[in-house]
Amino acid sequence: MAASDYQLLDRYAAGDESAFEELVLRHQKTVYDLAYRMLENHADAADLAQKSFVQAFLHHRSFKRESSFRTWLYQICLNQCRNALRDRARLVHEDVEELALAAPQDTFAEVAKSELKDRLGQAIRTLPARQREALVLRVYHNHAFAEIGVIMSCSEGTAKANYHHAVDKLRRVLMAGEG
Amino acid sequence: MTCNEIKELTVPYLELDLEPSRVRDVTTHLNGCAGCRAEMEAVRQVLVRVKGMAVPDPGDQFWREFPHRVRHEMARLQSTATTLAGPSRYQRFWGGVVTAKRTLALAASLLLVVSAWLLRGQFDEATAPAPSVSQPGQPVKMAASQPRRADRGQDSEFATVDLPAVVDADWHDYWEVDPDAALMEMAGHVDRQTMDRLLADI
Repeated sequence: MAASDYQLLDRYAAGDESAFEELVLRHQKTVYDLAYRMLENHADAADLAQKSFVQAFLHHRSFKRESSFRTWLYQICLNQCRNALRDRARLVHEDVEELALAAPQDTFAEVAKSELKDRLGQAIRTLPARQREALVLRVYHNHAFAEIGVIMSCSEGTAKANYHHAVDKLRRVLMAGEG
Repeated sequence: MTCNEIKELTVPYLELDLEPSRVRDVTTHLNGCAGCRAEMEAVRQVLVRVKGMAVPDPGDQFWREFPHRVRHEMARLQSTATTLAGPSRYQRFWGGVVTAKRTLALAASLLLVVSAWLLRGQFDEATAPAPSVSQPGQPVKMAASQPRRADRGQDSEFATVDLPAVVDADWHDYWEVDPDAALMEMAGHVDRQTMDRLLADI
């Protein structure tokens, strides 16, 4: 029978390095998936997934075990995602100002073409962060709303509301595109 | 149930997140309302399409190396933290003790030097060769730097030796060479009474 995450954490705390590797191997794909769906490129997702594990292991003694290790790891990952998206938004804002002066006209045409090509993807990208988090955690990671609330540090009701708003916006985008 | 109420329950209905009684109510409404059925189908399509958006797999090599990258990054951060944090509490404690020891050693050295300097005069007095009073047959020689007790003005110090008569053989040669110096040296060894007697002899 496989050891639980808690048992592996205990072994890691006692100096067992193989427990560290086992925990990473067990959760690396889901953490990377979450990071990728939030940031939408491999380099950022890989970097952020790595940071999430590093933070988790460096601060494993502060983990109170009120939730599962996976939920705690997701919390760390989402916090990192929020920071990365905030930084990115700041950079994009600066870049857009420069782009408006320097970019040729066909750049905007390509962007518009891409938007038409993948309306849904674009719509997900433009969702508010909290709605997007709820959507990703629910649709791709199959978390219950109670757990999503823990991961997002909000109530279950707020998690549900965020998710419903996200789905509703996507529905409208999709219907407008098809109509 | 009204269409607006159904709209609110569309997602929970599709997510199987409703009480069984509510599920029955929604299903009954959907069976009789084409508009709500279309709405429900649209939302279902959204969920299907969203779920179908896959994340590209970075490959086996990436997954194999990932734990090592995490470990490497942790080691890097820990070494940086150690460097930035400076010495540990233990190191700081013993560093403080060593510093205190050095300070004490320096203070003790200074104390020794000052004490030696202060005691030097007394030591010189105690070890200075006595005038030839105690060494009969040799002329008295006075070092230029030797302090003159007569200059110190303390009577008690004068009363150490009862000066012999100037005509004594011990003092005679010295007296012949430099009477002033001999007189001064004598003064360092006599009490006032003897000095008076000496001066009277002169």
